[in-house]
Amino acid sequence: MCTGRVDPTMIAEAFINDADGVMVVGCHFGDCHYITGNVQGQIKVGLAERVLTYVGLSPKRVSFDQCSSAEGERFVKLVTDFNQGVRELGPLGNGDGLPAPELKEKLSIAKTILAKEKLRWVVGKFTVFVTEGNKYGEVFTDHEMWRTLDTIVMDEVATHQIMRELGQEAVAVKDLAARLKLPAPDVLRYVLALQRRELVDLDGVEGNSPRYKAVGPTAQVA
Amino acid sequence: MKRRSPRLRIAASPCHSFKWGMKLAKDIRIGVFVCDCGSNIAGYLDCPSIAEYAETLPNVVFVKENLYTCSEAGINEIKDAIKDENLNRVVVASCSPRTHEPLFRESCAEAGLNPYLFEMVNIRDQCSWVHMQEREEGNEKAKDLIRMGVAKATLLQPQEPIQSEMDPKSLVIGGGISGMTSALALANRGYQVYLIEKTKDLGGLLRNLSKLAPSNIDAKELIAKQVEAVKNHKNIQLFTSSTIKEIQGYIGHYDVTVSTNGTEEKFGVGVIIIATGARVFKPEGFFNYDGKRVITQFELEALFKSKKFKSKNVVMIQCVGARDEERKYCSRICCLTAIKNGIAIKEQNPEAKVHILYRDIQAYGTENEALYQRSKQLGVRYIKYDQEKPPEVLDNTVKVYHHLLGRELELEQDLVVLSTPLIAGEDNEELSKLLRVTLDENKFFLESHVKLKPLDFATDGVYLCGNAHYPATIREAISQALGAASRASIPLAKGTMTVEPIVSVLADEEACRGCGLCVALCPYGALEIAQTEKGRKVRVIPVACKGCGICAATCYVHALSINSYTDQQVEEQIRAFLSG
Amino acid sequence: MLDAGRHSNINLLAYSEVEEVEGEVGSFKVKVRKKARYVNEDLCTGCGACVEKCPSTVEDEFNIGLGERKAIYKYFPQGIPSTHCIDAENCRQLGQGKKCGICAKVCQAGAVDYEQQDQLVDLEVGAIVLATGYDVFDPSVIPEYGYGRIDNVVTAMEFERLLSASGPTHGHLDRPSELALRAEIAVLDKDLKKATRQIEKLEEKHGKKTSKFLKEFKAGKAGEDGDFERWATLAEKAADTEKNLAPLKKREAAAQTARKLAFIQCVGSRDFRFNRFCSSYCCMHSVKEAMIAHEHDNETTSSIFCMDLRAVGRGFEEYKLRGGKTANILYVRGRVAEITEDKAHNPIVWYESTTSRRVEHETFDMVVLATACVPSAATPKLAELLGLELEENGFFKTDPLAPLDTTRAGIFVCGCAQGPMDIPESVAQASSAAARAAEVVSMAGEVAVGGS
Repeated sequence: MCTGRVDPTMIAEAFINDADGVMVVGCHFGDCHYITGNVQGQIKVGLAERVLTYVGLSPKRVSFDQCSSAEGERFVKLVTDFNQGVRELGPLGNGDGLPAPELKEKLSIAKTILAKEKLRWVVGKFTVFVTEGNKYGEVFTDHEMWRTLDTIVMDEVATHQIMRELGQEAVAVKDLAARLKLPAPDVLRYVLALQRRELVDLDGVEGNSPRYKAVGPTAQVA
Repeated sequence: MKRRSPRLRIAASPCHSFKWGMKLAKDIRIGVFVCDCGSNIAGYLDCPSIAEYAETLPNVVFVKENLYTCSEAGINEIKDAIKDENLNRVVVASCSPRTHEPLFRESCAEAGLNPYLFEMVNIRDQCSWVHMQEREEGNEKAKDLIRMGVAKATLLQPQEPIQSEMDPKSLVIGGGISGMTSALALANRGYQVYLIEKTKDLGGLLRNLSKLAPSNIDAKELIAKQVEAVKNHKNIQLFTSSTIKEIQGYIGHYDVTVSTNGTEEKFGVGVIIIATGARVFKPEGFFNYDGKRVITQFELEALFKSKKFKSKNVVMIQCVGARDEERKYCSRICCLTAIKNGIAIKEQNPEAKVHILYRDIQAYGTENEALYQRSKQLGVRYIKYDQEKPPEVLDNTVKVYHHLLGRELELEQDLVVLSTPLIAGEDNEELSKLLRVTLDENKFFLESHVKLKPLDFATDGVYLCGNAHYPATIREAISQALGAASRASIPLAKGTMTVEPIVSVLADEEACRGCGLCVALCPYGALEIAQTEKGRKVRVIPVACKGCGICAATCYVHALSINSYTDQQVEEQIRAFLSG
Repeated sequence: MLDAGRHSNINLLAYSEVEEVEGEVGSFKVKVRKKARYVNEDLCTGCGACVEKCPSTVEDEFNIGLGERKAIYKYFPQGIPSTHCIDAENCRQLGQGKKCGICAKVCQAGAVDYEQQDQLVDLEVGAIVLATGYDVFDPSVIPEYGYGRIDNVVTAMEFERLLSASGPTHGHLDRPSELALRAEIAVLDKDLKKATRQIEKLEEKHGKKTSKFLKEFKAGKAGEDGDFERWATLAEKAADTEKNLAPLKKREAAAQTARKLAFIQCVGSRDFRFNRFCSSYCCMHSVKEAMIAHEHDNETTSSIFCMDLRAVGRGFEEYKLRGGKTANILYVRGRVAEITEDKAHNPIVWYESTTSRRVEHETFDMVVLATACVPSAATPKLAELLGLELEENGFFKTDPLAPLDTTRAGIFVCGCAQGPMDIPESVAQASSAAARAAEVVSMAGEVAVGGS
């Protein structure tokens, strides 16, 4: 099995099942048993780290490292250092952005997000975009790619949460913003985008504020 | 990571309250064999306690500790237990699967159990050896690993090895010295070869050369000899003035369409060798290049051939259009060409002056260095120039800053020869797409592993040699051509490809949207999009797949899966690990 | 390697030498001496229990004398076949006639066999491929470079072992002068401990401190006892050792890993006194070593002294430039004339700089000699045995247009046995040699000699 086989959702799954840290170690670049699998591995683990960190996990709990079979010493050092870092944090919920029970809930959102199509496409095209460029020959830097991914993650998490709230009851944007601890204009933008995709619809007006609720076949799933 | 994470509560929980596997799977009967490996494992781990622990795991119906599981006695115990205990999954906790998995699998098969219902756990390398100093933790880790192995074994599915017949014919693309050599090597082994050459004549770049270094034989003679051998060989079918129109398929089964002056012909082959060569860079705009007074080494060869060469003061300039911003690479052979031609001039007319202006003389190896020394003996003069202060070509002189003298020299000249690099063939991009093989940043074909597989592509069944790969001397090109033929002959000789079934499978055809993301990411060209009754769907070419799993970890609809490493199996292992 | 060891069509005869070759292409008869390794390959599981217990320690040739191994050993950890071998000369039981047998006792597989004899194996083969490799040039014959005299002048191969994570220093660039220092300290420490233990016993026996005893002894008031003479000598020795140790330990404490490196190219190559040829791979090897040293410790700076920096393969030129830009590598054009040493064991490199046109010198922490690739010592003997010609440099002779064919039909040569070359070229050649061998075997009868 190659690090490229590590589905980012597996990393989320581990934390959901009480792991305190996840370390993925693969071959050195240029020396991958599966040619380029480790490049994918690094990006996928990197994505998992960002998404999980975004929902509140400490970034110290996820690591991607490289080591060859002839580097026993290096392996020991990598594992010892990582273990040390995780031990300093303690069990899940310590040193993280949220206490354990809340974090767990967010982690399952993270797992869902990590399987989203848009993210997967950007991850898949990452290497091509930074080396050869897109269809129009525009070459991006690693930094730009990660910024793009970050934006998508933010959108996906917000959208996911909005759909979940609106799936339960009709809510006004202002209230929704307060529940999700997000700025109201952003939430409005998401809601309108969802409305355009016919996933959300107006459900009447409360005072001056329109209330929205989830509709369509995905309302339940999300 | 180390198992004893801060969550110690978990470690203390009784081992039968498993979160994973939840229920006992029906009809799953797992046998676990714990190997002592003499004292290799048992010397550091408490094997009886590990075996005892294994008995408590769900679906485990039989556990046995062996002195050496790999010994005849141990193997017999596995076989007997499969029969007597009706085992349908076997887990061996011993050493490295790299050395022993084939043996255990075979043994399962001999006892009538599908060999892919076997799972191996490495408690020697990963426990007793690395944790000699912390035995208790090593022991606990062994239990973790076995628990994970059992969890995975529960979900294992029987697999059958994938077999595919080889079409015993081969295709060589390119009729230069590399292509001809490869074709002959394969044909002499008795394989049918299709040799495709784009131009109307065989010979490639060699046709334009005069004498060859260091053998000093006439290029014409060498070509003539090879061409005759190719044309007369009963196993070689030659297509000149022909191009590849289309190639489809995979190792063992390629369908090739060749177009010769508009007429198309189709045939099937099992393997393909790329020997398409390279082009000479034309230095338009460099050093007043005009093709008359300022020419390339290639054009100098033509003067030699036509016996029109008469110059008395020749200045050669190296690295023209190479090792610069645009083409960073060193073209490997231009120094040797300059040395060779310098010698040729001196031999023809010892009075003639030859100056070679260079940056580094790349006369690597025994023969090349000897040639370099010989040229110096004959009076060829070498002046190193700095990239920052390049020579200047004037009407009858060349100005160059001499490093050692610390001043500028003005060399008389009646001919300036520019050494230009070989650049990648113009069809490389098209061909790389047809065959799903990769190019490097300079558009030369890129081998699968720079050190260990210099003649193979990541895509099985396609091989490369000669200038298509990177500029090479005749010696190197011939050597690579023979090597590529040798690599290509391996699957041909086997006749049937047998592949481990641990490959990608389209597990959920309904879900697949045929988006092609996986196809773009597959390092082996083992996936393709096919039009089916249900629309565009991905198709796995099992013989080309190596089971890396990148596709399965990428597919957002989880349509693809890897046999014996399914999402479910891996996640079950993760859960089993964390529930210990 | 593992693949070769496991392939069902490969019969691996390790630790063996060819003694006789008769016949001709298509039907060679080869006699091979399979040397006794005193370990039964079929039984040995490669566990290494014997190594742990073996009492004889000798210099480890794999780590080029920079480390130690036991008399029963494996040449290197990943070696194939994965079995052990007894170096009879250094074995107590076999070579020194002592009673030992420890390895046989600890071997649970019962693989140790002191009675094992050399075996002669007869083979019938259609073609022969030579892949006998090369030797590394011994730079001690160049007195001006001081190899062997100056501790911190090492060969590229030694440096490789120092850089290796599985090497004697675990990849830290400890200087050989400091390694020697540490070894010296270890010996003295051991002596001191031994003396101290004996002194402590005497103190206990006689119920007084050594300082008191010495005072009395020197004053002639200690009285008479068989122990006293020895006690005094021991005390003196311990004091001496301690005195000797102090400055060594101070030096050791101040020791730093090597950070300023010099690489000297063409040591024994392109040198009319030794080998006229270019060894092909050393330029890139030095660049690589300098890159790795920099990766390990990014304070490392390297100067590579060369005539031409020959970077001719795919990506080599780019790699070289990257080294200059990102790994503190300086390429200095010039041939090094001499290496001297200062008091702190730092080598000083003297050279003529072709850019400044002056003789210059510079002090480094360590100097690495990029030694030539020379024909392996056994080449002439093997050539005679097989009836093959050698070329002027002593490598097996081939033709540029039939690069794998030796001067005898059916015998092929690949890799550095035919001349210096780098790994990809060797690997490609290995396949080519296999192609030629297969060609003659499948064409047996209508033999194709020379190029195809």
